[in-house]
Amino acid sequence: MKKVLLMGQANVGKSALFNRLAGARVTESNYPGTTVDFAKGRMRLNHEDVEIIDVPGTFSLEPKDKAEEVAVRMLEQEKDALVVCIIDSSKIERGLYLALEIMEKGYPVVVALNMWDVAKNGNVKINAPKLEQILGVPVVPTVATRGEGLKELVLRIENATSASIEEVMEKVGGKGGTFN
Amino acid sequence: MELSTDQRWDLVERISKQTVEVGKYKATLKDALADLTVRPAIGIPFAIAVIYGFWTFFCEFAGTLFTDGFFVKIFDGYWLPWLQNVFAGAPTWVFNVFVGDPLATNCFEAFGVLSSGLFLAIGVVLPAIVAFYLIFAILEDVGYMPRLAVLVDGLLHKIGLHGYAVVPTMLSLGCNVPGVTACRPLDTRKQRFLAIALLSVFVPCGAQIGIMQGMIPGLIGWVFLALVIGYFAVGWVLNKIVPGESPEILMDVPPYQAPTARNVWTKLWTRVWRFLKVAVPFVLLGCLIVNVLYMTGAMDAIASALSPVITGVFGLPEETASAMVAGFLRKDLAVGTIGMLAAGGMTITLFQVFTAVVLLSIYFPCLATFALMIKELNWKQTLGALATLIVVVFVFGAILHLIGSSGIGSSAWVPLE
Amino acid sequence: MEKKLSQMKYEEKGRIKVIDQSLKAQIAGMGIREGKEVEMMTKQPIKGPVVVNVDRANTSIGLGLADRIIVEVEE
Repeated sequence: MKKVLLMGQANVGKSALFNRLAGARVTESNYPGTTVDFAKGRMRLNHEDVEIIDVPGTFSLEPKDKAEEVAVRMLEQEKDALVVCIIDSSKIERGLYLALEIMEKGYPVVVALNMWDVAKNGNVKINAPKLEQILGVPVVPTVATRGEGLKELVLRIENATSASIEEVMEKVGGKGGTFN
Repeated sequence: MELSTDQRWDLVERISKQTVEVGKYKATLKDALADLTVRPAIGIPFAIAVIYGFWTFFCEFAGTLFTDGFFVKIFDGYWLPWLQNVFAGAPTWVFNVFVGDPLATNCFEAFGVLSSGLFLAIGVVLPAIVAFYLIFAILEDVGYMPRLAVLVDGLLHKIGLHGYAVVPTMLSLGCNVPGVTACRPLDTRKQRFLAIALLSVFVPCGAQIGIMQGMIPGLIGWVFLALVIGYFAVGWVLNKIVPGESPEILMDVPPYQAPTARNVWTKLWTRVWRFLKVAVPFVLLGCLIVNVLYMTGAMDAIASALSPVITGVFGLPEETASAMVAGFLRKDLAVGTIGMLAAGGMTITLFQVFTAVVLLSIYFPCLATFALMIKELNWKQTLGALATLIVVVFVFGAILHLIGSSGIGSSAWVPLE
Repeated sequence: MEKKLSQMKYEEKGRIKVIDQSLKAQIAGMGIREGKEVEMMTKQPIKGPVVVNVDRANTSIGLGLADRIIVEVEE
């Protein structure tokens, strides 16, 4: 079965989003050989059932503790998975850092710009279409606690693709300079 | 293609320059609060106020409103007479085991599996657990816990723990079982061992607190003081002798947010359900075993076997041995047993009750917690935790005996109804 | 003037100059990186951790880790 990994940093509303997407049949599991737990559920995608996994929160793919180690291992194990990377829009830079790390590894990614309302209230304006164009992957503003943007997110998951980091760098003029 | 940390940051900044506009930010009241509550000068008094409020709500909601105002009436007025009626024709031993004392007029003194056992589990402990986890879930959802972790990190680091250990420790005040599980995010084996050993030995669970609050409201502060001193003293020693690392804190401190009913409900329900599944069968089983031990005379044998320790070292009445045995199964049941024994005519002084309650808290984790400890720690560590608690029980018991022999609190204790 | 992050005072602001290699990748996901402005939010007694603000995000850092970050502050 196809798998969708939900990844994001701590306190970005990842569990709220998971609970909204995964519906009723959620199971808690223990990652073998560790003390780290994660939740699994099902969602409908393109008229078929897919497994959705709530990966433990991780700030980057350079683990700083055991839960993060498990998150990285889960990602590496699921070579064919699609990743929904959830970002706190009001702290977008550090979220993009993680999103890029995942994209670099070649995974198809969808970026959920969660806590869109918080960013708006904090006077952080994000040009989501432009960001999508630069990253080359779907970018969807969401407010998971209120369920806003989730329909759009699910639709966009269906056409997620992997993107090339080289192209991203070209689009923002990152050739030469520090990238030689 | 994979980038280095510096290259990736450079790329992030180029992207955000083209897509993100960060305007002026006006700090809100919420932000001001978020800052203030993590500063020691205001944060520490605030934390104390939060915990005090927590405690008051816990007592009012669980003890006064639900247990006294609702469950006592239901259990004593309807459930017990009904049980006595239904079991009236049953053989004596069945009646004694399941309903208890035929002359009892309340569920506290009856001591049957279905009378006292069920009353303790549902009437006393459940409201305490629900009250506790409700507030805990709200504090978590609001984002207060990371701030508390920052405030206590300095102190906990002295005993080899991470500030985050405050979460499992507080959870254990509800029930040690989820507390032990919540030690999982702690980074190293050493930290997990320290946290689990300390909480299983020194942190009384909500069930026990609920009973203590009903039985010995005047002594509860002293019990907590003794346990807190024990927690840090033993933690300090363990940190010195247990090998391993205690990495420093590196943690996100999120802004406050309004709690959502959905999150709070999910957390509350998962924890209460886990508690019900684990605790209720154990309370009933414990009650059954204690009753059977009494009826077969095995309890007298155990009591006389333990009496040198119980009377000699701890200075407690011999009859409390049965409470100690019950404590292997459930701590709340054990504390309740002391009350029932006193109600049944055992003479015990105030200080002895204090000693017994403190020792019951520390001397053995309840069976459910113990089973989980074996699962969460390896055998060597579990044995280490056991060795710790044996040493601690004897040292504590002897010290308390010594203090008690000065004549403090020597008036006879009369259990509250 | 350069100093360690752990030596910054309450509410002092500065710019992160060097993060020790041993910490750099680990702390990157929290948004803390060289060249960023940093403000000291709190310091805890008895050698407790510091809390710093970078890009509107607060991060708590143990004192020993904060020793490995060098900041440039105004006189």
